[in-house]
Amino acid sequence: MGKTLAFWCMDRSRAVFTAVILMVLALGMMIPKIMIDTDPENMLSAEQPDRVKHNEIRDRFGLHDMIVVGQVNTQHAQGVFNPESLAAHYALTRAIEQMDGVIARDLMSMAAVDNVEQAGVGTIAYDWLIPSPPETQEEADRIRAAVERLPMYQGTLVSEDGQAAALFVPLESKDISHRIAMEIRSVVEGLGVADEFHITGQPVAQDTFGVEMFQQMAISAPLAGLVIFLAMLYFFRSLPLVIAPMLLAMATVISTMGLLIGMGYTVHIMSSMIPIFLMPIAVVASVHVLSNFADRYRPGDDPREVMGDVMDKLFKPVLFTALTTAVGFLSLLTTPIPPVQVFGGFISFGVVVALLLTLGFIPAYTVSLKRETLDRMAEKFRRKELADQQANKDGGLLGRMGRFPARKPGMVIGLVVAVLVVSVYGIQQIQINDNPTLWFKEDHRIRIADKVLNERFAGTYEAYINLRQTGIEQQVDELRRSIQLTLDEAAREGLDLRSAWSGMWEDSAGAASPGDRLETLAMLIDDHLFDAEPEAQDYWMEILDQVEAGRTATRAFQNPGHLAWMDELKNHLEKTGVIGKANSLADLVKTINRELVSGDMQDYVLPDRANGVAQTILSFQSSQRPDDLWNFVTRDFTQASIWLQLPSGDNQVMSRVVDAVDRFVADNPPPAGVELEWGGGTYINLVWQGEMVEGMLWALGSAFIVVLIMMIALFRSLLLGVLAMLPLTITIAAIYGVMGLIGKDYDMPVAVLSSLSLGLSVDFAIHFIQRLRMALDDVGGDWKAAMDQVFDEPARAIVRNAVVIAIGFLPLLAAPLVPYITVGVFLASIMATSALVSLFVLPAFIALAPRAVLGKAVKSV
Amino acid sequence: MNLLKITSGLVGGFALLMSGSLVLAAPPVSEIIERANQASYYAGRDGRSEARMRIEDNRGRTQTRQFSVLRKNVEGSDEQKYLVVFSRPSEFRGTVFLVHKNPAADDDRWLYLPDLDLVRRIAPGDKRTSFVGAHIFYEDISGRNLNEDRHELLEETDQHYVLKSTPKAPGSVEFASFQTWIDKETFLPVRIEYTNAVGEVYRIMENANIEVVDGYPTPMMMRVQDLQSGGNTVVQFRGVSYDLGIPDAVFTERSLRNPPAEWLDRR
Repeated sequence: MGKTLAFWCMDRSRAVFTAVILMVLALGMMIPKIMIDTDPENMLSAEQPDRVKHNEIRDRFGLHDMIVVGQVNTQHAQGVFNPESLAAHYALTRAIEQMDGVIARDLMSMAAVDNVEQAGVGTIAYDWLIPSPPETQEEADRIRAAVERLPMYQGTLVSEDGQAAALFVPLESKDISHRIAMEIRSVVEGLGVADEFHITGQPVAQDTFGVEMFQQMAISAPLAGLVIFLAMLYFFRSLPLVIAPMLLAMATVISTMGLLIGMGYTVHIMSSMIPIFLMPIAVVASVHVLSNFADRYRPGDDPREVMGDVMDKLFKPVLFTALTTAVGFLSLLTTPIPPVQVFGGFISFGVVVALLLTLGFIPAYTVSLKRETLDRMAEKFRRKELADQQANKDGGLLGRMGRFPARKPGMVIGLVVAVLVVSVYGIQQIQINDNPTLWFKEDHRIRIADKVLNERFAGTYEAYINLRQTGIEQQVDELRRSIQLTLDEAAREGLDLRSAWSGMWEDSAGAASPGDRLETLAMLIDDHLFDAEPEAQDYWMEILDQVEAGRTATRAFQNPGHLAWMDELKNHLEKTGVIGKANSLADLVKTINRELVSGDMQDYVLPDRANGVAQTILSFQSSQRPDDLWNFVTRDFTQASIWLQLPSGDNQVMSRVVDAVDRFVADNPPPAGVELEWGGGTYINLVWQGEMVEGMLWALGSAFIVVLIMMIALFRSLLLGVLAMLPLTITIAAIYGVMGLIGKDYDMPVAVLSSLSLGLSVDFAIHFIQRLRMALDDVGGDWKAAMDQVFDEPARAIVRNAVVIAIGFLPLLAAPLVPYITVGVFLASIMATSALVSLFVLPAFIALAPRAVLGKAVKSV
Repeated sequence: MNLLKITSGLVGGFALLMSGSLVLAAPPVSEIIERANQASYYAGRDGRSEARMRIEDNRGRTQTRQFSVLRKNVEGSDEQKYLVVFSRPSEFRGTVFLVHKNPAADDDRWLYLPDLDLVRRIAPGDKRTSFVGAHIFYEDISGRNLNEDRHELLEETDQHYVLKSTPKAPGSVEFASFQTWIDKETFLPVRIEYTNAVGEVYRIMENANIEVVDGYPTPMMMRVQDLQSGGNTVVQFRGVSYDLGIPDAVFTERSLRNPPAEWLDRR
């Protein structure tokens, strides 16, 4: 099969080259259409229920992605409350309001919000907190005194110690946040104050990540190519021989990325790693082919014949190692996370492309080389091999390693068991956690900003609890039934009001909510009163009263009881310390109530009745920013939102908040019919993290089973199949065990790696077992002699391969972003470890029962 | 112009006469402005009106407020007194605003919240803030001081004088300029467009359904569109009447807790 294919390609080398070039050009042309996507929200599909809810909540309450800008002054005794800092704060606020894409009316800063206070006895004042830049320290002190009386702003717009002030900058869309952040930085530079300024917030982190992702792709991928090139040059000492795999790798990477982009997929953090994954994988198989070719070729041989033999022998292992790798990546399709699916799917495609090129392009390339070149290459290669053999003779490290487990299998197996026990313990210690801010290195300015601002303020990470009053429709139905009774009563008096009523009912149908509909109905009835016959007036008045009362009843979050419950929840969460701070309608109403009544803390309470709440709110609606109200409650007052500020974006922190809320709700049930839902970026991160852990377990399980079945089919032996899976199982267990022990969080990159490393690292076992079987035939059934033979050239090839792959991932260490570094370290160590474990553990198990494992080919000694 | 424009119109017949006779040249800008101000805010000696205000956001979600307005001009000055009494929705019933407007100085404003039984003065502050959550500003209701802007006549059409007004203190207001279409017959501003610093029209106010009530041309509908948020507020007026002889006592703090039913109810 391999031979036929190789001959076919070698006879049509021009056609093969043309086809490869055409493919690369056609797909590569798509690459300029690249679209970057760094939104962690996209870790969930657009239809995922939590994401849909999250977006509904944002929409309902007019919530936007926000950049957080912090201003810190530790020099002045009054912190930022000095004329210069406040003037800078004022100027910065005004400048940001003018920026294109900033939603100025929702921007929050001390220079953009209201101060509500008593201005003299019996006088309430709504005025800008900082109406104009203060000129004296007295004015600055007055601003400080004012803001300290406003609980909604304490810890949010100003730090408790007064040393820091914050601006929350809402954006029309998060993909402009990097630009806005740059514009803010340039304004800050022109402010001329000594204060420190920091910019953070999830959208900046994401957008910045996108920018640096490009850098990573531009640096790490070519660097990986270079490193692999150098490593191969060291091993093979022949430029022409090494160039072929490099061309193959480039063709694979360009085609795969071109196809991905051409099919309209965005390049997400996951798919940006495709080039660096594909490069070493693509190279490996061709390395096997070429080294085998170099090994066999003698000057004067017909390269076509030699290559034919090589492909004949290697077709099966090359095919199977490629397929197992593809399966490992394909298993990612079973995860519920779209970017991970895209990543898995396209790498599999790339692996198949690399496989086809190895089978077709490499033979065609080789026979197109000049004879002298081939001769020189073969000569050099053999000299190197001989030198290696000489160096390793008997005393060689590999050789010793090979004999030890065969002699003392019990010891090795005992060691394996010990490692597994420790690993299982370690795995139990694994902390599942992620935080997109931590994707930046510790010295990155976003990390620094994150640290500074979250130390000083209640938190720059947001989550929302959406409270919803249910049963409104039933209330309306009930109202209609009771109005029906009034209509019946009128009918008994000989007044037919029914058609007028049903006309009005129909006319009100377009309203946005049941409450709006009842409000419209009240208007229509009110209008109708003018035309109604005098006898009907009283009935219509009664119906109007019923409708009004019904409407009032729908306005759940005007009830002091509802607000009080939200307040208790907030206080509970703040007291237990799981959140930095929470703001809700209750805080707003209490503040306004206090200033309306006396301005004293004892009046920082909710009004006793719903009408009192409504009138307090009406008063607030005459302030500078009446629309802030709708960030906390819907216009029909059937839903409310509590804004939680979290000092950390760790999923574990979010998870603790969710637990705390669940416990509180269990102990203190909300008002009847009120339901809770979650939203906010930090919560969404928690959701996809949860889906990922589960999804990855699935992927790992399914990849394991498929690869196992493939191994059994390849070796036509259940035992050998299981044996082939053993080294990588031990490796993955050990690496995750170590991760748990050293406290590295199980995050997105780590999770994705588990199943795909399975497909990669099984290659070593395939080669080892395949070569051992061949050697067994060669030496006539003496398994120990066969083992010695395997630990010569084949073992070196395996180690060489592992080194190429491991080294190929190392340039990721130079990446500016942590996930790439994690992937680099993790994969390099998995590759290296699993190669060693294959060479160390397989002989031990084989030595236990050679005949049982290797079959009849083993002669008893 | 507005809300309480309830009252509008000016010396109605006189205006008709003027516009009929002066065919040749437009009156000077200052005169147009002054007459428009009169037509919008000072019609009659006093007046009453019922207003129904519908505040709608960009998603069609609505809030309704219904209230009656009494107004009286202070004789021999440009000062005025307003009493605004809320009737619907029920949670606002009995909420009252009292305004003593003084174009030369700060207005005096009081608020009564019935459920809390609280009378509060509202500190003089920014007049370009929302009136009870509507897209209408206090200043739209009580009138902007003519001297705060520079006015120029941009254009004269068959029906309108088109004026452009630019604030003398640009930092004090959110607009960069506004353009007013003044009906030549009634001198009522029928459309005002507010332009922001980058030259975009972001806010439009319209007066429509002009009827002559008691001899005064009166817009029975006004609408303010906030193009930035996509919301709008529509106010409909009914039960308008002028020159009722409302006594001064109606416009005192006493009326906050005891709204004068005899003047508020339609007769």
